[in-house]
Amino acid sequence: MTDPTSATPVGRSVIHDLGYRPYTGPRLGEGPIARALVLTGFRNAFGLGRSGKSKVLPFILLALNVLPAVIIAGVMALTGAKELPIGYAQYASTTQVLLGIFVAAQAPVLFSRDLRHGTIALYLARPLRAGTYALARWTSLLMATLVFLLIPIVIMWAAALLVELDVSDQTTNAGKALLLAVLLATGLTGIAGLIASWSTRRGFAVVATIAVLLIGNGIVTAVQGIASEQGAVSVGEWAGLFSPYSLYRGLAFVLGDGREPLAPPTGGAMQTAYLVVFLGISLACVAALLWRYRKVAER
Amino acid sequence: MSTITLETVSRWYGNVVAVNGISMTVGPGITGLLGPNGAGKTTLIAMMAGFLAPSAGSATLEGRQIWRNTDVYRSIGLVPEREVSFGYLTGRQFVRANAELHGLADPGAATERALTVVEMVDPAERRIGTYSKGMRQRVKLASALVHDPGVLLLDEPFNGVDPRQRLHLMSLLRRMGAEGRTVLFSSHILEEVEQVARQIEVVVSGRHAASGDFGQIRRLMTDRPVQYVVVSDDDRNLASALITEPSVVAVSLRRGGGLDVAVSDFGAFAHRLPRLARDRGVRILELVPTDESLESVFAYLVGA
Amino acid sequence: MNPTILRLSTQALFGRRRGVLLLLIPALLVVLAVVVRLVAGAGSGYDAVIGLGFTLALPIVALLAASAVLGPEIDDGSIVYLLAKPVSRHAVAQSKYAAAWVATMSLGAVPLLVCGLVLDAGDARRALAWTLGAAVAGTAYTALFLGLAALTRHAVVIGLVFALLWEGLLGQVLAGVKWVAIGPWGEAVAAAVSPRVDGSGIGAGYALVAAAVVTAATLWFAGDRLRSFTLRGDE
Repeated sequence: MTDPTSATPVGRSVIHDLGYRPYTGPRLGEGPIARALVLTGFRNAFGLGRSGKSKVLPFILLALNVLPAVIIAGVMALTGAKELPIGYAQYASTTQVLLGIFVAAQAPVLFSRDLRHGTIALYLARPLRAGTYALARWTSLLMATLVFLLIPIVIMWAAALLVELDVSDQTTNAGKALLLAVLLATGLTGIAGLIASWSTRRGFAVVATIAVLLIGNGIVTAVQGIASEQGAVSVGEWAGLFSPYSLYRGLAFVLGDGREPLAPPTGGAMQTAYLVVFLGISLACVAALLWRYRKVAER
Repeated sequence: MSTITLETVSRWYGNVVAVNGISMTVGPGITGLLGPNGAGKTTLIAMMAGFLAPSAGSATLEGRQIWRNTDVYRSIGLVPEREVSFGYLTGRQFVRANAELHGLADPGAATERALTVVEMVDPAERRIGTYSKGMRQRVKLASALVHDPGVLLLDEPFNGVDPRQRLHLMSLLRRMGAEGRTVLFSSHILEEVEQVARQIEVVVSGRHAASGDFGQIRRLMTDRPVQYVVVSDDDRNLASALITEPSVVAVSLRRGGGLDVAVSDFGAFAHRLPRLARDRGVRILELVPTDESLESVFAYLVGA
Repeated sequence: MNPTILRLSTQALFGRRRGVLLLLIPALLVVLAVVVRLVAGAGSGYDAVIGLGFTLALPIVALLAASAVLGPEIDDGSIVYLLAKPVSRHAVAQSKYAAAWVATMSLGAVPLLVCGLVLDAGDARRALAWTLGAAVAGTAYTALFLGLAALTRHAVVIGLVFALLWEGLLGQVLAGVKWVAIGPWGEAVAAAVSPRVDGSGIGAGYALVAAAVVTAATLWFAGDRLRSFTLRGDE
């Protein structure tokens, strides 16, 4: 870049410095990029920051999910009940279909879109590793799922306190439900994210996730039902390891919250196994996600 | 034969008018549909192909309405802009499926004919998913030719095609036009249109800006002086003579030799220039019109 | 009915990933039935397994099939190659429906027969009852989802929500839903064939007529939507 009044040397090209410069200041590193990505992803999962139509489904599902909690709160306030009609952890079990649809429908928004249209290349052109990208997306979906699960718990807890039920009791129960919710959320997020990143067509990813979650749960429930009919309890317990929902129910019962499921895990070994498998599913899915995105990044 | 007629066709989406009262007749031979991006070219072609209903006006082929008239497809071949995504089919299977859908008596022979015309016989056994962009365009063209239509509509056919295949496609289109078919293709790349079609329709912001041979269109623009470059062995002498001519609007000396001459009446100029040069004893070495190209015509139309 | 489109649609159905899932679901169901039979003996677990197959697997298979034959082609506009032909749009819709219907029947209804016979070989009538019920429900499901796929790009999600929420959640809560939900219609037909099936309380006649009406109406609608298909430029 030279002074514009100086002459162009014969046979050479120059650009004169008229103030056109690239940005040479400090740039944020990978951390802030990942943070921004997590935040945007979280908002996108609820359709915020996107078109109006994409807000319809998540908010309808959220409203349907929260509605019973609000009704419970209202009923308790009016009738002065002595305890919650439904346990904190039990709540998520009942609304599992809504949660399943939410996770299945919004995971493709976060995972499939970029892969389908190739914009993943734009993300990876930044100082952002493929693994970090995958983790950021996973975190966004996890946060969205947690919002889904936690709002009803908070509403019921607040209602319980306002009706002056025992504070420590309610808080411990809510706390247990919180932990279980985190476990469930990580499991579901992992599965949905993995399926969505594997199949790039949105519609297909949604059906596949629902099929895996609900049919898996259905199979497990069927097996458990039959096993309990036959009195083969341990078969039922083992079957419960195969679906996040049954793991959730089993652990919820162990922690003392919720109705007795068909085949609750008995004995310390089985219960630990439930916990381990639950965590294991989440970790395995995350690892698979990282692997998948690293492979994509190589292309 | 096979003439598409658009009569005051308009198309709007809510408050946005995509096509505004366009009337045009597309007859046999090659016609280039030109316009900047977003001018409404794809909308026009969609209406001509029966995939979009005009909000007002009518689009007809030989008097028959095109919209909601599946029979008209016997005479129309459409090469849309979108990618052909039957990736699991081989080229031959795809063209053959198109032939069968047209109800041709001998789909196999028609398929081979079409593939031969586009020179895709060798790769026809491979799946479309493995084709390059140019090969896909040619397969699309084959599928549009398989039923020997009188009208061929192509939406941005040269988009993303490498130079060699582009030349091939161009010669194909010229051949189709020479056979008497009605070929209409849209583009926003002027060099392509210039090489293939002299007959153009220009659409700017949904309105019909100009139609016809682009050389003649240029001459119709009498409000703009025609630019010439004149190179002679005595520029200043010639310049002083030219500036006295009533048909000359401006003369300027070019760096490196020659004159830029702006002429308002090129007929008179063409008549007077040799005489002037002879009278002054100046030898003219070059006389080149500089804005008769499609690019200049287009720039004038769009900029106006 | 156009044989070429039928052939093309069948090829589209079993394209790699979708085909895997389409085959996997009935396979899992049959495996489950076999396992239950081996573990628990004949006759037990019937309702659980068949219930799973009827209320969950069948609609999902129908949804996958219907969205496979119509969805992707509309999505990326390549259906224009099928529509720019002198073929009636209703014929296009019907041919695609036929391909999806065959898939639903063979991968949604027939597995129920297999499971029923595996679980209780003695009561073939009951297995047949469920199969016929699934056939009726599957026919209507496939048509409904095909119509949805012709209507909107989000057909799959909406179809899922319909199947799971309307028929599943709401159907358990509100008794009146059974008159306007496809699953109960299938159950009514099954109940008419075998006394061991608990019907949903509506007559088989009503169920058959309702299913036929829904099938015909949504199929006609799909054809009509195809007639108005618009080719968009770059959106």
